[in-house]
Amino acid sequence: MTRLNTLLTSAALFAALGVTGAMAEVTVLGWPGGPEEAGLRKAADAYNATATDADKVKLIFFNRDGFFDKLAADLAAGSTDFDVNLLATYALGRYAPFMDPITLPDASKATFPEKVLATMQYDGKQYGIPTDLSLHFMYYRKDLVEKLLADADWKAKYGEISEKYLGKKLEPKDPDAWTWEDWMAMALFFTKSINSDSPTRYGTVLQMKNLLFNMMVWQSTARAQGGDWMNDKGEITVDSPAYRTALDIYKKLYDEGTSPKDSTTYEFAEANAAFGAGQAATMLQWNAAFGDLDNKDKTPAVAGKIGTVAPPAGPEGRFTHIHGLGLGINKASKNKEGAVKFLNWLGTPDAMVIYAKAGGSPALSDAVVAKVSTERPDLVKLGQYAGSYGFVMHGGTAAKALQVYELQAKEFTAYWSGGKSLDEALAAAKTGMADLLKP
Amino acid sequence: MPRTSRFEGRLLIAPLTAFLIALLGFPLVLDIIYSISHVGFENIRAPELTGFSNYAKAIADPEFWAAAWFSLRFGLIVAVIQVVAGLGLAVFLAPLFAKRPWLIALLMLPMMVAPALVGLMYRLILHEFVGAVPYYLLEWYGDFPAFLGRDWAFTTLVTVETLQWTPFALLILHSSYAAVSPDIREAASLDGARGRRLFLNIDLPLMLPAIGITFFLRFIDSFRVFDNLYTLVGPGAGGSTTSMSIYIYQAFFKVGDIGLAVAASMLLLVASFMVLWVINGLTARKAPL
Repeated sequence: MTRLNTLLTSAALFAALGVTGAMAEVTVLGWPGGPEEAGLRKAADAYNATATDADKVKLIFFNRDGFFDKLAADLAAGSTDFDVNLLATYALGRYAPFMDPITLPDASKATFPEKVLATMQYDGKQYGIPTDLSLHFMYYRKDLVEKLLADADWKAKYGEISEKYLGKKLEPKDPDAWTWEDWMAMALFFTKSINSDSPTRYGTVLQMKNLLFNMMVWQSTARAQGGDWMNDKGEITVDSPAYRTALDIYKKLYDEGTSPKDSTTYEFAEANAAFGAGQAATMLQWNAAFGDLDNKDKTPAVAGKIGTVAPPAGPEGRFTHIHGLGLGINKASKNKEGAVKFLNWLGTPDAMVIYAKAGGSPALSDAVVAKVSTERPDLVKLGQYAGSYGFVMHGGTAAKALQVYELQAKEFTAYWSGGKSLDEALAAAKTGMADLLKP
Repeated sequence: MPRTSRFEGRLLIAPLTAFLIALLGFPLVLDIIYSISHVGFENIRAPELTGFSNYAKAIADPEFWAAAWFSLRFGLIVAVIQVVAGLGLAVFLAPLFAKRPWLIALLMLPMMVAPALVGLMYRLILHEFVGAVPYYLLEWYGDFPAFLGRDWAFTTLVTVETLQWTPFALLILHSSYAAVSPDIREAASLDGARGRRLFLNIDLPLMLPAIGITFFLRFIDSFRVFDNLYTLVGPGAGGSTTSMSIYIYQAFFKVGDIGLAVAASMLLLVASFMVLWVINGLTARKAPL
């Protein structure tokens, strides 16, 4: 009898806990284990401090490993375990059928630049509030570039090398004025095997591993030449002269030895190791790398000597790939009203200031970023670059956008490593993309 | 057999049978259904039956065959090297092992490391800016190969796999070598057999079953290589280091074509079953001898 009572009491307790969990709280599934989680926790605490019991937010987190696949399976299964869930620009099309579009509150239009809001749009509809943004900086060694700009002998050598390898005599320029050709000349000049006076072994470090994220890093090169995944008619244009030029820029730099031999296996960490060792003069890399590279304890060889600018300009202008993380509403949610309230609050300047100060990386409008610029100076450039140079490829939020990146990674790395000709790689990419992006 | 005993026998074996059905039967049935369906993460609970198109797609895919060839080549080369090296070490180190058996435990250490970690470890060791190997090669010779590049990746992978798993071959072959009766060796010695002749005519024939088993175990393990390969080089530039396991993983998780991934794994299952069936047949035929 005692055991029966214990069981009944335990059951009642579990039931009570379950009821508490389901008491119209807003459950938010966030991106785990990084500054995004820290930011969201602070933001949720601030929101809960004033929200009614029915609107309070409860946070849950999966493991990062396989996060998007698990999320896709949960959304497709109509899970009601969360009301608000994480979104990523490149997976928008995959999740859109299982999410509710939102109406942006006026406050969010003042909080974020238009291009940043667009990272959460699919098929003309807004699916989320953008919380974090990733884009690319051109990292360079300030000390070396300054010397090059001031030293007559180095300048003369720079002209000789650019003439020999690029067919035209170039003058060194300030990094903020670089074209892709200037960057190539810089990479050639600072390569020891080409210029024995170079203080670095390599002029740059390219991320050429067969990995979808490396395509995101590289594709700013293609966009600056005028490249896009498809035209307005929906035809795949990946075999355009712009793509050929952009692919050849990497191919030439790799073949001339301006980047480490193993670059075809390099991704974020390996590239940072090369640049952080002080053996690469430039690097096109994610904005997230700056903190560690400029930290004297972690990378003493280069900390304090790093400059960052937006990626170089091409004939069509200057561009950086951007993608965002954000939060949107699960179509199967049982508390959409509470979810909308939370998202409306999250899009306000006050909420984003809390989020940014706690570690998040939102791209904010000038007026809002001014409120955090002392604590987070990196966010100033983030917002500026996203607003001025950010782009998303035509089709970059499609349901199979991730597969497109995977396909490009396989085909383009085949070209760079000598496994396929340019024509073969582009033809395969075009055929595959046509299949993946067909309406 | 009395009826009651038969009933008791069936009753006793029932839990094991249920266990096998639940653990092997259910996934197999599910795999068969997925392999003949159009299924992705979006409709994983409601796959659409499409017949054998996934099998046709896999068979028509040159990358499927490239992955199969990679795995076969990798498995065979690695298994041969490990058996030869393991056999050599077992024979040459036998006197040392007899005096200091604890040395065997020391040599087994590489097997204790998870393959994924081994991959990560070599990724660091071979990295130009943080790894010891390129550093010293650069110091001594002024150059070093791109160990993980397209031209060298296969050789590097074979070396890494060999360094980690040769101790396994050594362990089995050492046991087998130690099990050869000293009486037989002594009798052969009295007949004048020495050194290489003794080894080739006495030891080797007696060790052949163990060598065969070691070879197949190492071949199977290397054929399905995934962890260390994935962490070391992944699918490689242009898919140049895509093994069967990586092909299936890519199709499943990266491309989201679950039907194709499962169909490819079913084809692999059939091929594996056929190989095992042949081996089983050969063993059964030799048993009466």
